[in-house]
Parts: sequence; C-alpha cells; structure tokens
Amino acid sequence: MMDESTMTDETPGYLSRKVVVSSENGLHARPAGRLAQEAQTFDSEISLVVDDQAVDAKSILDILTLAAGPGHMVELRARGADAEAALDRLEALFLNKFEGA
Amino acid sequence: MADSTLTGIPVATGIAIGKAFFVNRNHMANLPRQIVAAEDMPAEIERLHAAFKSVETELAAIREQVPEELKSHGSLIDTHLMMLKDPKLSGSAEKYIETLGLNAAWALEKAVSDQEAAFEAIKDQYIRERMQDVRVVAEKVQTKLMGVKTDLASISGRAIIMAHDLTPADTVELQVDKIMAFATVRGGKTSHTGIMARSLGIPALVGVGRLEEVHDGDLVVIDGLTGKIVVNPTETELAEYNERAALFEDYTRKIRRHCHLPAETFDGSRVMVQANIELVEEVTAVLDNGGEGVGLYRTEYAYLNRTTLPTEDELAEKYIDLAAIMSPRKVVFRTLDLGSDKFISTFGELNETNPAMGLRAIRFCLKYPQLFKTQLRAILRASAYGNVSLMFPMISGVKEVRQAKAWLAQAKAELRREGVDYDPDMPLGTMIELPAAVMIAEFLAHEVDFFSIGTNDLIQYSIGVDRTNRHVSYLYQPLHPATLRAIKLVVDAAHQAGIEVSLCGEVASDPFCVPILLGMGIDSISMTPQAIPGIKRIIRQTNMHDCRLLLKDVLECRTVSRINNLVMDNIFKHFPEEVTFFSSLLENDELPS
Repeated sequence: MMDESTMTDETPGYLSRKVVVSSENGLHARPAGRLAQEAQTFDSEISLVVDDQAVDAKSILDILTLAAGPGHMVELRARGADAEAALDRLEALFLNKFEGA
Repeated sequence: MADSTLTGIPVATGIAIGKAFFVNRNHMANLPRQIVAAEDMPAEIERLHAAFKSVETELAAIREQVPEELKSHGSLIDTHLMMLKDPKLSGSAEKYIETLGLNAAWALEKAVSDQEAAFEAIKDQYIRERMQDVRVVAEKVQTKLMGVKTDLASISGRAIIMAHDLTPADTVELQVDKIMAFATVRGGKTSHTGIMARSLGIPALVGVGRLEEVHDGDLVVIDGLTGKIVVNPTETELAEYNERAALFEDYTRKIRRHCHLPAETFDGSRVMVQANIELVEEVTAVLDNGGEGVGLYRTEYAYLNRTTLPTEDELAEKYIDLAAIMSPRKVVFRTLDLGSDKFISTFGELNETNPAMGLRAIRFCLKYPQLFKTQLRAILRASAYGNVSLMFPMISGVKEVRQAKAWLAQAKAELRREGVDYDPDMPLGTMIELPAAVMIAEFLAHEVDFFSIGTNDLIQYSIGVDRTNRHVSYLYQPLHPATLRAIKLVVDAAHQAGIEVSLCGEVASDPFCVPILLGMGIDSISMTPQAIPGIKRIIRQTNMHDCRLLLKDVLECRTVSRINNLVMDNIFKHFPEEVTFFSSLLENDELPS
C-alpha cells in the first residue's frame, strides 16, 4: 500500500510518503507514543497529514488528535538533513503495525 | 471532640490509625494564578522545564521498577512519559508565560485546556478519554511547581492514602508496604481501590464525602467496619479506637483459626461457603480464609480498560489457571455481565438512557454471539482442568436460557470436532436476579442444574431502587418482605425440582442476614473471601432449628423494621462480638427528610 518515496520539488523541500494505518485500533496511545518517540530521534521536521490536517509527528498529543483509525491513509512529510532516514524509519513502523523493532 | 467525622462505604474491613497523605488531585482548585513580571519570565520558564524534567526523571525511575506482571501498567507509564516529553504541552505552556506573563502552573493549566478543546472534538471514545492521561501528567508537573510533595512513590513512613479517586495508574506508583489504608471520594464496591485494599489486607473506604477537608499529616482513624473516618481524634477517642483495633485483631485471629473447619451447624446441617472473586490472584485470599470454592467468578475484568477484545487463548489461560488451582474445589464462572454503561469502545456508541434496564449481561452476549461463544469455549476448555460450573446472568425467561444453551451446545460441538478436551457434564445454572425469573423459577428449574440468587440486583429490581441514588437509597432493604418471599420462592422451586440453590449477593456476607438464609435451606452462600471466617463462625455457632424458627417469625412480619428488629435481637442474643464489629446492611435506616 506504499507509494514510492518522491521528492516534491515544487513544494519547499520536503519528502513525502503515504502509508496506511493497519494497526487494529488505529493510532491509539501506544502506537502514537511509539511514533512520536521515533520521530523525536530525528532532527528533521516531520509531520503527519490526514485529510488536509497536518500535525507534528513528534507530539503524541498531536498524533492522538488526528484520531486516525484503521484503514486511514496518512501522509508522512519530512524536511531536513535526515528526512529520508526518518521516513524510512516511520514507514517501517506503520508496516510493522508499531510492533517489534 | 475530633475535628470531624466523615462517612464512606467500607470496601475492605479493618481499623487503621495513622497520618493522612492526600494524593493531590483536588488541591488543583488552589492552583496559584499570578502574573509574572517581564524580567522574571526567563526564570519562570526555566522553573517550568525543570518541573517537567523532574517529573520525567521520577516516572522513568518508577517505570524501571514496574514488575513483569504489571506490564500493561508499564505501557501506561510509557504513554505518560511521552506526553511529558511532548513539545506541544511544555511548548504551549512556555508560550503562555512569554506572551501573557502567566506563572508556570497557570500557563500549563491553559495549555491543558487547549488540549482538552482539541480532544473533545474526537469521536473515538478511547482516544477522547486519553485526555485524562494528559491531566494526570500535567497535575504531576503542577504539584511539583507548587512545591507540594505528593509523589506517591516517595511517601515517608507509613500513611493513610486519601484521594479523590485512585486509578490503576496511581496504584502502580504506590509503595504498598507504606500504605495503611485507603479513603477515596469516588469509587464503588467493585472499584480498583477496593480490590487493591482487599488484596493488601488493609481497610478502605470509598464514596467519602467532604474528604477534601482532611489535610496532609492529620491524624486519622479509618474504620473499615463502620465506614467512619475520624479526623484528629481526641485522646479519649484515640484510646477507644486503639482498643477497638486491638480487639478486632484478636477477633479476626480467633475466627481465622477456625476458618478451615466445615460450615456446619450444631445440629449437623452443612452449608457450602464459597467466595466471589474477579481476579485469579484472589485465590490465595479464598483459600487462606477457608473458602470451599469459588461460587461466583466475575469475568468482566478481562474486558475492561482495553480497546480490543480478549482472545479465546488469553481467556482460556486465565480460566485454566483458576480451575486448576482451585481443583477439586468448585469454580462457578458467570458469563460476561457487562452493559453499555461500562464497556469498551469496540462496540461503538451504545449510549442508553437507562442502562440498568438495557442491553446488559446475557442480553448483550446474545446480541454479540461471537463474543459470547469465545468466552464459552474458553470456559469449556477450563472445565477439563477442574471442577467448573457455568451460569448465565440476568435471565428473564425460559427462551433466553434456551438460546444461551444453544450457543453452549454449539461451542461444545466445535471443540469436539477440533479434538479439544472439556467436561461434557459441566453443570449449568442461571442467576436469579430479576423478579421475572423469581416468578417462573419453577419453569427455569427444569432448564438448568442449579440456581444462584444475586440479591444485589434482585433487591434493586424488586423494590425499583437504585441504591447509589442518595434520594432513594434508604429503600434498599435486603430484608424487605418482598425480597425474603422472593428468595424463599426460588429456594423452594429449586428444591422441588431437585436442583441446588446458592446465593451470592452481599446479603450472604452480612452476619445479620445469614441465619435467615440458613433457615430457608440455601445450599451454598458465596461472598467476598474476607467475610468467610466470620460467616463460618456464625454458622458453626447456631443451629438449624433456631434458624427455621426465626425465619418463620420473620416471614409473618409485614414491615421491614419489624423484621430488622427480630433479626437484630437474634444476633444480639447469640453473637455479641459480631454486633461490636460489623455494620450490617440492616442499619440502613436513613429516612427521607
């Protein structure tokens, strides 16, 4: 369900990738916490976009307020030196349903 | 005179005397609200971050200490840690200090309110409720800022814990060896506080009014027998309570010595005395107190406080443990007794205006048969490992029992096909808790192997009274002639059909009521494990002949007060110690003003 990583040159320099929430309960406390925790390890600005609502991926509260349920499409956006790595990492989290490494 | 005397609902017996330690929920009303001068802002921001950091360090340390078996609590702490580290919360508080000049605690309060507004709009109930966690962490930081020492993990010396409410999250942080008693404003008989207190063997009161009047360090007496809290008692009062506590300890020791003897009356009648439990961990308390089996295993706990349904394997593992540990003693599983008033978000918006009469218990299970069958299969699997029985709650008619039995038959057929072991003769019962079931007890008796009378609900539905409603709770009368006649009718119908009948409401653990139940010929009574020694003592010191005579007199009474007087007289005459130590359901004599 993953789009290829694409550099969007026309918008001011962020990388974007689309993922689908496949964890059973959507982005609830545990996955949201995990996501924010991982995002915080990167220097890049990272945001999650669902239905035009963009929030800070480093904030568990922001992620929770997205209330993204199972099946929701989420766009990951990252801008900064380690943007590519950040997207790889977060995409992997979505793929593993926030379990394991 | 003591400074004040408060009252609450005793949920764990005993008497404790010690210093009050208020878990600082309600002090938030006194949150300081000051404007900070521009030159002091940087320092205030620094104070804010230092408070965040310090709470974070403490929580992380607690996280390290969470034992393996409380892992789910551990992940709750992880969530709290993430919220603490969330740039949103501290960042927005910082902004309020900078732009409005608010002091740190106030600025954080505003940041929390902003979050609250964002969360309120969320449809998903589970996520909406995470706002409570934001509150919890913010309050930790605020108390830190206010310089109030409330960290649960750092109580110095032993203390009596007081709180508006205690959540499972709070109790993870408690150092159990330092707690002498609990008192909370919120909570009911089955709340977390009660379970925790009973498993620790310390007294606890819930539903205490005016608890906020107690200050940290006040000397308090918690009387878990009568439900009283005495704040700063006089020397005389203190001496009295010390003596009472010592007497109670003696009495407890004495009755516990005999608690493993059978519950047999002087004239040789045997009654089974069993326990009501909801956690497998309570088995120790059952066996230590001389319980002859588990007469009611409430299965709801595994379904609460989570977002997904437990799997069959998860349930079976617990059930098998319980059946195996108790074997060859009996374990009676009550199938899921949940309603829309307390259920997980998986089932969406089941908001009912009158949940007590709504989609509850067996009705809920029959509407979601897949969930029901998962549980039935898990119970059947456990039946291969011990002496397991099964009963359905809130049955209102014969057809309902037959429908439930059909699902049970299907679960059995599936297991048979899969080659999974179960006890094909597992006894099956229904709970009798609706007046309708009482009226047709004669018919229901042909459908099942046993009855279990649930008096708590039976009394509420018979008299039409919600006992948590303070305007009408005085009407909650266990020995109302209607209730007694109902119980008598059910016992007679069961025995006529040759099946056994047990009783598992609070009445069973009320020493004042037990002689009457014996007189009726009840086969088994089931109660909180801690009540067993006392009740066994009553049974062992009475005789059936007297109980029958008492019942005969009681059944002729037309008013509750007349019945209560007769019953009290009987207890005063034969069991003076019980009168000293136990409050009875019968002392519910508040009349409407």
